[in-house]
Amino acid sequence: MTSTTTPVRARALRGALRTVGRIASTIWSNPRARIGVVLLAIFILAATFAPWLAPYGASQDGFERSAGGSAAHWLGTTAAGEDVLSQIIWGARVSVFVGFAAGAIATVIAVLIGLSWGYSRGFGGEVVGFIVNLFLVIPGLPLMIVIASYLQNGGIAMIIAVIVVTGWAWGARVLRSQTQTLRSRDFVTAARFAGDSSFRIIFREILPNMTSLITGAFFGAATAAILAEAGLEFLGLGDPTTVSWGTMLFWAQNSNALLTGQWLLLFAPGLCIALLATSLTLINFGVDGISNPRLREGKGR
Amino acid sequence: MTTNTTPGQVDEQPILRVENLTVEYRSEGFEPVAAVKNVSFTLRRGEFIGLVGESGSGKSTLGFALTRLAKPPATIVDGKILFHGSDIRTLDAEELRKQRRGGFAMVLQSGMNALNPVRTIRKHFHDIFRAHGHVEPGSFNARASELVRKVELPETVLDRFPGELSGGMRQRVSIALALSLEPELLVFDEPTTALDVLVQHAVMDTIRQLQASEGFTAILISHDLGIVLESTERVLVMHDGVVVEDGPSHQILDDPQAEYTRMLLSHYADPRAEEIHIPGFSTRGRSADAARAERATTSPRSDARAARRADASIVVEGASKVYAPPRRGEKPVVAVDNVSFTLAPGESLALVGQSGSGKSTIARLVTGAEKPSSGLVRFGDSNLASLRRRELRDLRKNVQMVFQDPYAALNPLHTVEYTLMRPILNFTERRGEAARERMLELLETVGLTPAETFAAKLPHQLSGGQRQRVVIARALASDPQVLVADEPVSMLDVSLRAGVLGLLEDLREQWGVSMLYITHDLLSARLVTDRMMVLNAGRVVESGPTADVLRNPSDEYTIRLLDAVPNPARAREGR
Repeated sequence: MTSTTTPVRARALRGALRTVGRIASTIWSNPRARIGVVLLAIFILAATFAPWLAPYGASQDGFERSAGGSAAHWLGTTAAGEDVLSQIIWGARVSVFVGFAAGAIATVIAVLIGLSWGYSRGFGGEVVGFIVNLFLVIPGLPLMIVIASYLQNGGIAMIIAVIVVTGWAWGARVLRSQTQTLRSRDFVTAARFAGDSSFRIIFREILPNMTSLITGAFFGAATAAILAEAGLEFLGLGDPTTVSWGTMLFWAQNSNALLTGQWLLLFAPGLCIALLATSLTLINFGVDGISNPRLREGKGR
Repeated sequence: MTTNTTPGQVDEQPILRVENLTVEYRSEGFEPVAAVKNVSFTLRRGEFIGLVGESGSGKSTLGFALTRLAKPPATIVDGKILFHGSDIRTLDAEELRKQRRGGFAMVLQSGMNALNPVRTIRKHFHDIFRAHGHVEPGSFNARASELVRKVELPETVLDRFPGELSGGMRQRVSIALALSLEPELLVFDEPTTALDVLVQHAVMDTIRQLQASEGFTAILISHDLGIVLESTERVLVMHDGVVVEDGPSHQILDDPQAEYTRMLLSHYADPRAEEIHIPGFSTRGRSADAARAERATTSPRSDARAARRADASIVVEGASKVYAPPRRGEKPVVAVDNVSFTLAPGESLALVGQSGSGKSTIARLVTGAEKPSSGLVRFGDSNLASLRRRELRDLRKNVQMVFQDPYAALNPLHTVEYTLMRPILNFTERRGEAARERMLELLETVGLTPAETFAAKLPHQLSGGQRQRVVIARALASDPQVLVADEPVSMLDVSLRAGVLGLLEDLREQWGVSMLYITHDLLSARLVTDRMMVLNAGRVVESGPTADVLRNPSDEYTIRLLDAVPNPARAREGR
């Protein structure tokens, strides 16, 4: 068995690679999604190569305070005498990281709960349903604020945790309804007749047919996470010593940047948050074709 | 064009003239595909013609083009469609809308689902009257009642919602709605395909009578040559976008010119006939019934696969299945009522009836998917109602299912290889290369060669018939003793049916599996089964050897089913 499984494994690996390649090429083939991918790539590159791209350190101060744009400081300096452009570039790290990490964790939880909830019939489903509904009816922002102020100054990990706790329920609900429609399809019944276990049916038969929905849920959750992260930090609920777009807004507000005419201090991080969220939304346009091979080949029956 | 015209009509302008029409499907980044190629024909006023072809022949594309309902990516690239002498391609949206009244209308296959579920039938009529203003507001109700009566529905349906009507009634309503615009040309696109056999027959009768009494010109698009030949005066046969034959119905029946028409016709036979010859079946030469009788009496042949022969029977004793009432206060639904039968090893039994007769519920009882409300279902020694999870798995190994819809029964994202490997790994001891060899062997058994090529394909790269073969291969993978086949060919084109049926029959002979064949199609039941049970409203109304039941039916319901079978030969009788 050991020797013969190798080609089977290799085939499985090749299959997985093919799936990833397929998703990528499907998204790329949609013009709107392509713009989103380019935008997102710019942010990711900026975040990755921040030490080389940023003209100064993130918290490097000592420059002239609250200065306007100049050749040395393109976007000016903050009230504490830090370079705004450098902060924007360094700040991308936190936003991108929190967005993807919180989005991914929330999606994984949503998939696990949504699929098993949708597939099972019986009392267990009712219990899960009650819990999910509970999370859905609690207003998200107040809950976030309550949890965040309770876990004072937990840093990025705390923010991710807060976003995940408040963000998974909606995805679980959506995935559950799709699972319920797929559950009664003939090919699922056929898999049961082929002797497959429920676990395998859920993750090998049903889940791959929801790739577009899950990818969509992920980008949606990531967008929400980026906005929530900025919101929490703007309210001062994060760790104000880290440099992120949210804390930049927080400090800009604290130093009355608008009153002093330094609108760039609010505008630049705000625009970046909006652009990052937009890029993910644009990518979501390209996700639709993933689950439907027929759609992709463009030869409808 | 060799249509016989009566002297008075010779100079009359044709109502519709199609000249060199070519329709292409154009999608970005792909080569355009021509669905209709250079088609020309004319249609006289009051004529009722049929348009026949298998899926992909371009018949619906043509129908949509004629009524200007073709949407991108379908594009008319060449040719003219002259309706009363003016080219409808040049109409703008408003002219087109006006043309819908007194011009041309279409009744769709899914027309019965085109009704708005939250509006009563009466409101649907009023909407149309108001939009076109051709009925005085005072006489809306009178006109609606009149139209509904024309399609043989009681006036009470006007105050019902679409969801409260059966499929046949809804299709009648949509025909009445099309008629309300007093069209001169009415295109029916598979108007009865989604309906049940008996209903189908009744709706076709109504369409025929209406055409005769109202005198509109009609085109009936269908995949079923039987229905078209018995309904229409003239038939166009389409194949690959080309009209391969155009002639009077009786001429097509008696003296088909095109090879393709001959092929289509060869797949029709009267299930009551003494001997039946269908391509793919006649290869076995002698009368299939005689062969079966012989097989039933002699002991199983000892061939290489004898080890796989079925040895356990399915026994159903007085089984009933009652479902809870759909709404509070209503009566519970009796799906199966006191049914008893035995499916002996190696035997093939047909369960026949229209939908709602309980035949699919019996399939679920036999496969252990549901438990009977009362009575007993046994496989061998085990009572299916008391199986534990583990035992249910063993049952699945022995009782496998062939699904109705090959498009739904295969996961679109898994290769044929993956689909077939699952039951092999789950139910047999084979692993690794041995399992793969078995998978390839199965593909060869169902006639998908070269097996290596087919193993790597995804379902959407296969045709309907090929998919159904994969479904059958999967059912065979666990070496089952019983196959439950639920309408295995009803979704397939006529020309593919015989192949799949022949495969089922061969497998049964070679492998000795017993088969429960569920169908409403009496001809296919005649071809592949030894015994037959006719079900009506959950009860067995008649049972016996298939040929006997079909040739000498004793129950009135069986006779009605037999009469509803589309029969091209009726074209000869004249209407």
